[in-house]
Amino acid sequence: MSVLEVNNLSVSYPAESGASEIVKNISIKVESGEIVGLVGESGSGKSTAMLAVMGLAGDGAYVQYDKITVGGKAPVPGKNVAMIFQDSLSCLNPSVKIGRQIRETVRARRRCSRKEAVARSEELLDLVGIRNPSLRMRQYPFELSGGMRQRVVLAIALACEPELIIADEPTTALDALVQAQILLLLRRIVRETKTSLILVSHDMSVTASMCSRLYVMHGGRIEESGTAEEIFYSPVREYTKQLLKDAKGGNFHRKRRTGRADCRELPGEDVLLKMETMTKVFSEGEGIRGFSLEIRRKEILALVGESGSGKTTAARILTGMLKEDEGTLYYHGHAMDRRRRMASLAGRVQMVFQDPYASLNPCLTVRETLTEALAAVQRNREMQDTLPEKIDKMLELTGISQDEADRYPRELSGGQRQRIGIARALIVEPELIVCDEALSSLDATTREQILELIFRLQRKIGFACLFISHDMHIVRRISDRIGVMYGGRIVETGPTEQICSDPWHPYTKQLIEAVPEPDPVRAARIKAVPAKDGTGVCTTGCPLAGRCGYALECCGREVPGRYSFDRREISCFLYSGKHGGRRSSDYRMTSQI
Amino acid sequence: MLRYTWKRILTGIISLFVLVTVTFFLVRIIPGSPFQRGGVSGQVVEAIEQEYGLDEPLLAQYIHYIRNILGGDLGISYQDPAANVADVIARAWPVTASVGITALAVSIIAGTAAGILRSVSRRRPVREFISAAGMMSAGIPSFAAAVLLLLVFSVKLKWLPASGLLTPAHYILPVTALSLYPAAMVSRLVGNTLDAELKKDYVVFARAKGLGEKRIIFTHALKNAYLPVLNYIGPASASLLTGSFVIESIFTIPGLGREFVGSITNRDYTLILGLTVFMGAVVILVNLVTDLLCAWLDPRTRRAYRGEGA
Repeated sequence: MSVLEVNNLSVSYPAESGASEIVKNISIKVESGEIVGLVGESGSGKSTAMLAVMGLAGDGAYVQYDKITVGGKAPVPGKNVAMIFQDSLSCLNPSVKIGRQIRETVRARRRCSRKEAVARSEELLDLVGIRNPSLRMRQYPFELSGGMRQRVVLAIALACEPELIIADEPTTALDALVQAQILLLLRRIVRETKTSLILVSHDMSVTASMCSRLYVMHGGRIEESGTAEEIFYSPVREYTKQLLKDAKGGNFHRKRRTGRADCRELPGEDVLLKMETMTKVFSEGEGIRGFSLEIRRKEILALVGESGSGKTTAARILTGMLKEDEGTLYYHGHAMDRRRRMASLAGRVQMVFQDPYASLNPCLTVRETLTEALAAVQRNREMQDTLPEKIDKMLELTGISQDEADRYPRELSGGQRQRIGIARALIVEPELIVCDEALSSLDATTREQILELIFRLQRKIGFACLFISHDMHIVRRISDRIGVMYGGRIVETGPTEQICSDPWHPYTKQLIEAVPEPDPVRAARIKAVPAKDGTGVCTTGCPLAGRCGYALECCGREVPGRYSFDRREISCFLYSGKHGGRRSSDYRMTSQI
Repeated sequence: MLRYTWKRILTGIISLFVLVTVTFFLVRIIPGSPFQRGGVSGQVVEAIEQEYGLDEPLLAQYIHYIRNILGGDLGISYQDPAANVADVIARAWPVTASVGITALAVSIIAGTAAGILRSVSRRRPVREFISAAGMMSAGIPSFAAAVLLLLVFSVKLKWLPASGLLTPAHYILPVTALSLYPAAMVSRLVGNTLDAELKKDYVVFARAKGLGEKRIIFTHALKNAYLPVLNYIGPASASLLTGSFVIESIFTIPGLGREFVGSITNRDYTLILGLTVFMGAVVILVNLVTDLLCAWLDPRTRRAYRGEGA
């Protein structure tokens, strides 16, 4: 018997110009113990439909349906159906302890004493893989990491003992490694508790790794439904095909490779900027330690790593926004302290920020913003006269129309704003731009366009780019080289193709294996390293020492050096001369793991 | 936490010192002398002034006064040489404080209840009524409300006594008049912040996990909604504790406010200054306590303070 049956559900919100229908006549069925995916881009009505199923669409919503049943009865939130949301920080009460938030759920579900509720809560936390539950119960949500909070949210959902869990983008806010952990956890929970799961996601790869059946939603309707194999290998509708194409990177990937050949100059081998043993440690212990990196002329270097690994700190030191504790930065081979960086790199290094709206002055039109940026570096009069010309040229390059140039940031869409952010950075003709998670706040389609824009401009103008991201899919497609960061250090650098297809460092391997692909057979193989509680970043030796399966005795004691092999550089004792013994001069290093 | 507290106490002392200085010189600008009165000859006034040291240069008087204050001596009332300024405060403040604390309690309880009701009631007339009543109580000046209450309840209806503070019944009118404005403000703040809190994700999640609406409001939303309210209650309670000149005059309550008004008309320099110092100290102290309380209630800052202390 089906656990969930939804027939002809419609949701509309009354608006001034008539009611706007967000969900149009959808029907969904979920069998017992099944994981069903609901995919579609943002704004397709997925979340609204699921909230309506829960009966939580809000006071303003007008919900119509022929039938919604969970296990044959009407759905009651907290009894037969539970829901988990994307942002685990905002859906836990910030000023109530974790323990109480679980306990009250247990007691709302069934009558029991406080003591029994505490015992049950600890059991649930244990089930979702949280070690030391009694400590966690005494903490507040902000004291836990994102992955741990999402586990707590799942424990709360399980406390309801539901027949069906609806997970709305449960891993979107998490980085690749933690995402893989949570996805595997969800899979295990479904198997062990015989609960059914609806996984709502915009990410085809995530659904590919989890679901046996899929519903594709578009514009409030179910566009297509079928088994995962049907959807991924023989999609019928144009829209589904487009989604899959976007997820796989379409033909952009290939274009990039061939595109390189037309490019007049290949990425130069000469070093534009070099940071050596850069260290900046914050009072919380985060930051970067002995960070060394080279950026070459005209290359796109991606910096990847989980949140808190120090990517942004490195970028801020590079641009002079932060002062390093120690270390040296060379620009074109000249050492530069922070003062000189601020003064002489201003026009040569530019940043593109994650939130374009927050980084643009709301009181200036697009044209004014660009004029101001340009005037700041070109002070003499002759150059001033050429300003409008230059601005028009930049507008054309970044695809902003003349009409849009005279508007204010609030009148433009997120994608257009990020184009302006890029235009503002490029107008001073920098040698290096730093994109700090520049695509993270955009939805899939816009992301694709901006990615293409950055790539096209980079090929045309030939600036170097430090591209910071936690999304391996994007990084793989845009970058020439990748630097992998962990615990404030670079653990591996090398050409993108090599790093992605043949990772050498244990951490890089974890990172690559955690990323699901938009293909049910391959995605099912995602791997996750179990989260280890309490063993954070090791500061005395290799930062990974605490959670590395290959850790040697020396890993915890001393920091591994940097070992170069052809175009790759790796910081791991497995590749040291001491470990490998004597090598002949024509020895070719291969992966040691 | 400790360092922060010390810093706040130190700045409090500095502002108190500035307050004393400014008041000292302002008071001397008021034309006339404490001892000038009908029927007293200029010579006599001069003689008395000499006795009190009022003929000395202003700066010398100022230094003398500061020295006394630092020694803990607020001086003697010019009007009533038998009364120490400290004694006047010791007599008047308990009266003011008893009215003030009652008014504070009433405004917090009534204001919070009205605010919650306005935010969660499903009946539109209830919400509209509370909004309108709040607007009106905030809009009517307290002296007008006091006179109106007096007219209706003690003059016309003769239900409640008009003056003095002998029995609990005596408290009803002045407390009501005093708490109208703060209660309206508390209700508006609670209503607004609760509205905002109830739209947040954790409330949707609490509903999804099957909690009852009452529990969601009282144990979840209200806790977060109350922080901004506390920030208002702090300064408001300072003003209630130092007494309202108008209300105390209308209801003839022998509190600080009335003493203050009296001391100004009498040009009783030492009493004016003494009362100013005392009220200033109360205001600064209450604000400090509120700030510490707010910081303590927010688990984030609390943990941060603990980390610093350890």
